[in-house]
Amino acid sequence: MRTVDALGTYCPVPLQLLDRALARAADEEVVALLADDPLIEVDLPAWCHETGHRLMALQREGDEWQGLVRRRRR
Amino acid sequence: MDRPGAYLDHGASGPLDPRVRAAMRPFLEDEFGSPEALHEWARVPAEALEAARGHVAALIGAPDEDVVFTGGDTEARNLAVKGLLSANRALGRHVVATAVEHPATLAACRTATRDGGELTLVGVDELGVVPPEDLAAAVRPDTALVTLPHGQPEIGTIQDVPALVAAVRATGSPARVHVDAGATAGLVPVDVTAFGCDALTLGGRSMSGPGWVGALYVRPGARIHPLVEGGAQEAGKRAGAVDLPGIAGLGEAARIAAAELGERAARMSALAERLVERLLAVPDVRLNGPRSGRVPGHVQVSAGWVDGEALVLALAEAGVAASPGSACSADARKAAPVLEAIGLEPPWTHSAVLFTLGPATTEAEVDLAAVAFADAVARLRALSPIGP
Repeated sequence: MRTVDALGTYCPVPLQLLDRALARAADEEVVALLADDPLIEVDLPAWCHETGHRLMALQREGDEWQGLVRRRRR
Repeated sequence: MDRPGAYLDHGASGPLDPRVRAAMRPFLEDEFGSPEALHEWARVPAEALEAARGHVAALIGAPDEDVVFTGGDTEARNLAVKGLLSANRALGRHVVATAVEHPATLAACRTATRDGGELTLVGVDELGVVPPEDLAAAVRPDTALVTLPHGQPEIGTIQDVPALVAAVRATGSPARVHVDAGATAGLVPVDVTAFGCDALTLGGRSMSGPGWVGALYVRPGARIHPLVEGGAQEAGKRAGAVDLPGIAGLGEAARIAAAELGERAARMSALAERLVERLLAVPDVRLNGPRSGRVPGHVQVSAGWVDGEALVLALAEAGVAASPGSACSADARKAAPVLEAIGLEPPWTHSAVLFTLGPATTEAEVDLAAVAFADAVARLRALSPIGP
């Protein structure tokens, strides 16, 4: 699974990096996002809703979050 | 500009391959757009940025998207050590490095100890080789990072990286492993899969590209924090405007190196051996590092009872460019740590001189350097109050 390591970056950078990775991903491919900016908890669901990608999971482990996003069909 | 003499200081700086210069030129002239932009001026720069990434990635057997461009290999070393440690605190705070690291790697590791980390330096044998069992023995349950050089930039020793990384992995440690290929990429085959490393540093100098540009390979999932923050450039690992002329040059240098590595390395090694033979013909001169299995074109010798810096100045007067054995230690009048690590003592520790050849170095340059060396050593010994 493709993983976007956005650790150490602050919003909107994690979403910019995820956007680029999804642009290169196949339809319905799942991409993982690692982030440690707490804003991701709000931003990622909103961004997925807006862009049409599907948020499969968003889990917090300590000070980090791992999101799983399924790319929308082109 | 043509200067008389012999330029044997390619490890410090050197001429760019004309093909590299040609690849850089458009981005100093008409192709000035930001590769991040959305307009037409961005198209060629964006394509060049990714093409360069592809060439660098191909040289080291990595996927394109795992390569981050940096401002030289020194920055890449800092990003590797500090970024991996910062993002992997859960693994621990202990760092394992070797006694023959590039000064930049060592400094970054020492900085980690200021923040509560601990550093273990693993010793080397008399040729500068790191024993895999010693490296493995230094790994602890709280080790977060192991770093080691592929080619040592002062004495030229090439390590058996796959064996060293395998020894670390065999301990069961989840520690991240960084390999410094700043002295070898483009001169010696480098493959991140064969190495089994999590991160790898390279720079333009070893491949006759711009020395102010480097790159760091980071394995996906290795977890790394950026040093320079504030943007999504370079996958968020190195924010700020990219040095597109330099990166285009590094990409072209990597492309050329991948195609010409074998021929280039063989030629440079043969010329280096020719130089070694002639230098060792001078009495009381020793080669530091191994005779074979060294970075191509890399020759460091110590001339007993002669000051290394004085020797380099005498060579410069004769039109020969070389470096003191350790540029970072010469000004401080201290013995080079790498020479102490291989067990050298005075008079050998203060009398080292480093010759680094380039792809275009000629036999005539090598022979001129050898004659100038013999003459300078004889003159300085005649002046010296100390001797055997």
